[in-house]
Amino acid sequence: MNERSAIASLGVLGILSLIFAPWAVVNREIGARGTLLLLPDRIFDFTGRTAPFDVQGMLLVLILSLAGFGLLVGSAFIAGRSRYLTWLAAGALLVVATLWGFQQVGAAVDQARIEVVTATVRDAMEDPTPRQDPQALAALLEEMDELTLNEAVAAAGEAGLRIRRLPYSGVGMSLAAALAMGIGILSLFFGLRAFPRASRAVDRFVGAAAVPAISIILALLASGVVILLLQETPVGSGVSLDDPLTWLVGRLDTLWFAYTTLFSDSLGSVGGFMESLKFATPLIFTGLSVAFGFRVGLFNIGAPGQMVLGAIGAAAVGVYLPGPGFIVLPLAVVAAAVMGGLWGALPGWLKARFGANEVINTILLNYIAASMLLFLLTDRPTFAAAAIEIFRMLAVAIPIIVVLLLIPQIRRLAMRAPRVSFAVVGIALLVAMVAVAVPVAADPAVEVRMPFKAPGFEPKSYPLQEGARIAQVPALFGIDLQQSPGVNVVPTNLALLLAPVVALLGVWLAKAVGIVRWPWRIAAGLGLGVVSFLVMALFGLTDVDFAVPPTNLNLSFLIAIAMAVFMQVLLWQTKWGYNLRAVGVSPKAAEYGGASIGGSVIAGMAIAGAFAGLTATHYVLGGALDEYALRQSLPTNDGFDGIAVALLGANNPLGVVLAAFLFGVLKNGGAVLNITYAGLTRDVVTMILALVVLFIAARGFLPERIANPLRRRQEEQASELREPLDPPGKPVRTEEG
Amino acid sequence: MESIVLLTLVASALRATTPLLFAALGGLFSERSGIVNIALEGILLFGALAAAVTAYLVESQFPGQPVPWAPWLGVLAAMLTGGLIAWIHAVVSIRYKADQIISGTAINLMAVGIPAVILMGLFDNSTNSAGIRNRLPQWGEGVFQFSPLVYLAFLLVPIVWFVLFRTPFGLRIRAVGEHPHAAGSVGISVQRVRYTAVILSGVLGGLGGAYLSIGNFNHFVAEMAAGRGFIALAALIFGKWHPLGVLGATLLFGAFEAVATSLGGGNILPPSLVESIPFLLTMAVLAGFIGRAVAPKALGDPY
Repeated sequence: MNERSAIASLGVLGILSLIFAPWAVVNREIGARGTLLLLPDRIFDFTGRTAPFDVQGMLLVLILSLAGFGLLVGSAFIAGRSRYLTWLAAGALLVVATLWGFQQVGAAVDQARIEVVTATVRDAMEDPTPRQDPQALAALLEEMDELTLNEAVAAAGEAGLRIRRLPYSGVGMSLAAALAMGIGILSLFFGLRAFPRASRAVDRFVGAAAVPAISIILALLASGVVILLLQETPVGSGVSLDDPLTWLVGRLDTLWFAYTTLFSDSLGSVGGFMESLKFATPLIFTGLSVAFGFRVGLFNIGAPGQMVLGAIGAAAVGVYLPGPGFIVLPLAVVAAAVMGGLWGALPGWLKARFGANEVINTILLNYIAASMLLFLLTDRPTFAAAAIEIFRMLAVAIPIIVVLLLIPQIRRLAMRAPRVSFAVVGIALLVAMVAVAVPVAADPAVEVRMPFKAPGFEPKSYPLQEGARIAQVPALFGIDLQQSPGVNVVPTNLALLLAPVVALLGVWLAKAVGIVRWPWRIAAGLGLGVVSFLVMALFGLTDVDFAVPPTNLNLSFLIAIAMAVFMQVLLWQTKWGYNLRAVGVSPKAAEYGGASIGGSVIAGMAIAGAFAGLTATHYVLGGALDEYALRQSLPTNDGFDGIAVALLGANNPLGVVLAAFLFGVLKNGGAVLNITYAGLTRDVVTMILALVVLFIAARGFLPERIANPLRRRQEEQASELREPLDPPGKPVRTEEG
Repeated sequence: MESIVLLTLVASALRATTPLLFAALGGLFSERSGIVNIALEGILLFGALAAAVTAYLVESQFPGQPVPWAPWLGVLAAMLTGGLIAWIHAVVSIRYKADQIISGTAINLMAVGIPAVILMGLFDNSTNSAGIRNRLPQWGEGVFQFSPLVYLAFLLVPIVWFVLFRTPFGLRIRAVGEHPHAAGSVGISVQRVRYTAVILSGVLGGLGGAYLSIGNFNHFVAEMAAGRGFIALAALIFGKWHPLGVLGATLLFGAFEAVATSLGGGNILPPSLVESIPFLLTMAVLAGFIGRAVAPKALGDPY
C-alpha cells in the first residue's frame, strides 16, 4: 500500500465511521448496556429504558467532520507542501468540530439530567414521605432554572429526597468521535511538516515511536476480533438487534467499551493509577533484564527462573538473618540480586565455556527453578533412606572435587583429556552412590522437615521479620489498613513529595542547557527543588487532604526506577558498559579491540539475572503476594512479559519503564474488564502482549520510510551514520532478499 | 512380576517419547532448512487445543451416539492448526526477516494467552476443556497398547529420513539450510523451500499436540506441553539434526520421563525434584559433555 492510498483510506474510514459508528455515549448502565448517539441525531438505545433527548447542532458537527475527512482524502491527490497545509486545515476542522460537538452533548445531557431531577422532585412533592419536606422541595422547583446540577441534587438531599444514581451516567466519547479526534491530531502533527524546522522534529519523533505505536494498534485490532467473537452485545430487555445497523452499532460499542475499560480505571483514578504502577514494577525489572541481555547480544528467556531464585534469596535473608532492619533489608535486596545473578550467570558460563546456546539453557533453568520452588515449599517431602545417603555423599564429594580442581597441577592433568576425566569422575561417583545406597536400601522412607516452609498445607514460607519489609504506600501515610480498611483521607505535605521530583528534573534541565560540571548540575537541581517547594508552600500544597486508596503498591517501584538509571549509566557512561555493548554489536570486532567475549557474556547474563532477581523486592520484600512471605503463587510469567516490555521499549531503560507502565495499565485494565464483561478474562491482555511482540518482531512489514524516517533522511544526505546499536530482532535488510 | 513392571516402564517410555518425537522431527525439517523453530512449544499447545476442541465440538453434534471418527477429525484439526501457527512463524521470520527466536517466543507467549481466551469462550473455564467421549482406538497387546499416533510417530522416522536424504525435496531443504545463496544461485526458491519446511514442522508439531490432549488423555489442560517443545529442540541438537539421532535422543528423554514419573510415585524422591531431572540432563547434554553437534550452517540467518 503506498502513501497516497493509505491517506485516502484513512479519510474514507473516518467518513464511514461518522455514518455507521456511535459518536457519543449518552448513558451507560451497570452491565455495560449503553445508549448511543450517532450523528446527526440518531439515538440507539440498548438499555431499553433511556428517555431520548435532543442534542442541538450535531448536523453542523457532522458536516464539519465530513469536510475534514474529505480534505484528507483530497490531500492524497496533492503533492508537496500544499498537502501538509491541507492536513493542517483538515486536522483543525476535525479537532474543533469534535470538541464543539462534545460540548453540545455535555450541555444536552446536563439539561436532560436537570429535567429528570425536576420530574423526581415533582413526583416527591405530590406524594411526600415523612422524611421529605414539601416546602423545601417546592422552593427548589422554583429555583431549579438557576441551579447547576450538583447544587440541585444537594438541595434535594437537604429537603430529604436523596437522588442516588443520576440518569445519563457514563457520558463520553465513542468510536467515531475518538477516531475523528485521533485522526485530527495526527494530521495536525504531520501537517507540521509544512515547516522545515518542525519537520525534523516530526521525523525524529516518528522514528522513535512509529514501530511501537503501530504494533500496539495492530495488536489491539487483532485482539478486538477475539473480543467481538467472545462477547455478545449486552442489551436490556425488549431490545432487538435484528436491524443490521443496530447490530453493527452494538458490536462497535462493545469493542469500544472493552477498550476504554482497559484504560479508564488506571488513568482515571488515583487508586487505579497506583494499581497499574504495582503491575508495572516487576515488569520494569524483567524488562530491564531482557533488554540488558539484548544489549550484550544475548537473549535472556530465563527471567522467570531468575525471579524464583531472587525470591528464594530475599526470603531466606528476610526470614532468618537476625539484626536491625537497616542491615537486614539491604542485605535481603542484595541477596535477591546475587541469587538471580548467579542463576543468570550459569547459562552465561555454559555459553562462554562450552558454547551451549543460552536460549535453550535459560528456558530449561526456568523449569528447574520452578521445581526448586515447589520443593522448598512442600510440606514434609519424603525421601527414600538411600536417596538421603546419596545426597549426603554428594554434599561431601562435590566440594572435594571442586577444591581438587582448584589446584593447578590436578586441573592441568584433568584438562589434558576432559572427556576421559569427566567419565572417570562420573563412574567414581556412580560407584560411590551404589556403595552408600545399598546398605540402607530396605530402610523406610524418611520425612524431611523443610527449614523454610511455614507449617501447614499452604505452599508458602514463614513470614518475613518486620525489619525486612519494604513499606507499602498506605503505611507511608501512617495508615494501618487492618484497622481502617478502604480509602483514608490524610493531610499530606504534597510539596515535600513533589520537590525532589522537580530537583531531579532540574539536574536533567541543567544537562540539557549545557552545564557540564556535575557540582553545578546538582546545585541547579537543588536550587530548583527548594524554589519549587517554596512556591508550592505559598499555594498551600504543604497541607492537602489526600485520599489514600487501599493499595498494596510498595516502594520497590523506586528501586525499579533506580535500576533503570543504573542500566543507563552503566551502559552509556562507563568504559566497561561500552565494552559490553561492543560485544553485543559485533563480538569479533570487540574482541579485536581488547574486550573479552566470554567475560562479557557471563557478566551480561549475571547483571540481567540480577535485574530479574530484584523482582523479589516487589513480590517478597514488598509483600505484593498479599502477605510478606514467599509464596508459590509467584507470577513467574512476568519474566516472559519482560520480553515484550524490552522489545516495545527498544531496549532503552527509559523505553522499558514506559512500556512497563503501559503494560501495567493494560494488566490492571484486564482485571477491571473481567468484572464488567463476563466473557472476557485477563488473558486477553496476555494475548495482546504476545501480539505486540509478534508485530514488533515483524517490523519489516512497515515501509522503511515509516519505520525509520531518520535513517532515510541520513541516507539521503549520503552520510554513513547508522543507528550505532540495533537491538537483535531488527530485521537484516539484504539487497538480494 | 518384575518383568511386568519393566515392560510397563518401557511402554510408558514409548508413550512419553511420542510427543517429543513428533515435535523433534518437525523441528528437524525447519532447522535443516535454516529456520530456528523455538515455537515448537507453542505449536504443541495449539495442536493439543485444536484437537481437543474439535473432537468435542464434533461429537457434541451427535448427542448420545458413538462418533468414532470425531477424534480423527481432531487430529486433522491439530495438523492444520499446527501448520497455520508455523505459517505465522514463517511469514514473520522469512518474509519479514524478523529474529527467529523472538518470533518463536511471540508464538509461545500467544500459546499462553489465546487458549485461555478460547476456553473461556467455549467452556467458561480458562484452564481446562471439557472431556471427550470418543477416544482414539488403542492398538496392540497387553501392556503394549498404544494410540495409533504412537505407531505413526515411530513410522515417521524412516519416512523423514527418506524424504530428507533420498528425495530432491530433501536435498533442497538441506542445501537451503547449509548455504542459501548457493542454493539460490542454482535456481532453488529459498523462500519457498523454507516456507514448506516450516509449515511441515508445524503439521508434525500439531500431531504431537494432538497426542498430548486426545491421544494419551481426554481433554486439554493449560500449559500441558510443560516444556516438551524445548526438550524436543534439545533432542534435535543432541541427535545432531539427523532423524536417527533424533530418535535416539527422544527415546532417551522419553525413558527418563517415564523413570522420573515412576520414581515420583513411590517414596523415593519428592516429585518436584524428580520433575527437574530431565531438564538437568538436557543441560548437561547441551553443554557438550556427551558429544558436540554441528548445526546447519545457515541456521538462524534470514535470507
